[in-house]
Amino acid sequence: MNEFYIIILGLIAVLGVISVYIKKSPFDKLIGLAIMMGGVIPLIVLKGYLDVAILVAIIMPLTTIFILQATGRNTDES
Amino acid sequence: MIPLYDAAMIPVYICGIVALYAVIRIVTEKKTLKKLVFLNVMNFAITGLIVLSIPDIMALFAGIAYFVGSTLEANAIASTYAGGKTNE
Amino acid sequence: MPGVVINIIIAVLLCWILFITIDIIFRLPEKGGVSGANAIGTTIAADKGSLNGGFMMGNIVCSPDASAGTLLAACGVFVAGIPGGLIAAVLVYIGNRICHDPGYAGTTGALCATFMVAGAGMAGIPADAFIAGMVIAILTIQGISHPYASHLLTKLWRIRA
Repeated sequence: MNEFYIIILGLIAVLGVISVYIKKSPFDKLIGLAIMMGGVIPLIVLKGYLDVAILVAIIMPLTTIFILQATGRNTDES
Repeated sequence: MIPLYDAAMIPVYICGIVALYAVIRIVTEKKTLKKLVFLNVMNFAITGLIVLSIPDIMALFAGIAYFVGSTLEANAIASTYAGGKTNE
Repeated sequence: MPGVVINIIIAVLLCWILFITIDIIFRLPEKGGVSGANAIGTTIAADKGSLNGGFMMGNIVCSPDASAGTLLAACGVFVAGIPGGLIAAVLVYIGNRICHDPGYAGTTGALCATFMVAGAGMAGIPADAFIAGMVIAILTIQGISHPYASHLLTKLWRIRA
C-alpha cells in the first residue's frame, strides 16, 4: 500500500521544485516552496515521525512570513 | 506485484489523484492569486492523506497543524500581494 | 467495491450541502474579510466570474471556514470518535483566531460535521468516506472552473439575501 503514497508524493515534491526553478516572480517561487513542503510532510508522517512533522508544519509558515516581511511589498509585475 | 486496486484504499486513491491534479493546475496557471485557490485544494487533499495514512491521535494533530499553517501562509502571501499589511 | 463508491457519493452530497449552507448562513459571500480575500474576489470577478462568489472563495482560501471544519471534524471522528471531532473543533477555533477571523463559521461547521459524521457512522457510512467526500466537494467548488463556481455561489447567495 505504500507504493501509491510514495509515487504520488514524490511526483508532487519534484513538480514543486521544478516550479520553483522555472518561475520568475518571487511570489510564484514561494508558492512552489509550499507545494514542495506539501509533498515532503506526508513522507515524514509515513515513516512515523509525527512530532517532527508537527514541528515542520509549524515552522514552514513562519519562514514564509519572515521572508515576506524581509523582502517587502509587491514591486515587480508577474 | 502491485494489485490493480483495493476497495479499502479508494479514499486514499481519491485524495492522491486530486492532489496531483491540483498541483498540475497550479503549475500551468498564470495569475498568482488564482494559483492560491488551487493551492487550497492541494492542502485539503494532503491533509486527507496525512490523516488516512496512520490512524493515530498525533496524526490528527499533524494534519491540523499542517492545514492551519498552510492557510496562514496563503493568507500572508495574498495580503502581501494585494499590497496590504502582512498580518491584518 | 460498489458499496464503497456509493458511500462516497452520499458523503459528497452531504458534505457539499452542509458546508455551502453554513458558509452562506454566516454571510461569507457578502464581503472579503481580509485584504487577501478581497483581492482574490476581484481577480476572479475580472476573469469572467461573479463578485460575491469570488469573495466567498477568497474567504475559504484565507481562513479556515466551514469547509475546513467539516474536513477536520471528519478526520477527528475517523481517528478518535466523537471526542476527536470536539478536539478538532477547538483547534479550528484557535486557527481562526490566528488568521484574524471571528471564527463562528469554522467552529459551527466543525460541531455540525462531528455529529453528522458520527450519525452517519451509525447508519453504515464510515468516516474515511467523508474525508474523500469533502476533498471531492472542495474540488468541485475551487478546482474545476472558477467562473461557473462563482456564478453558482452568487445564485445561492441571492436566495439568502
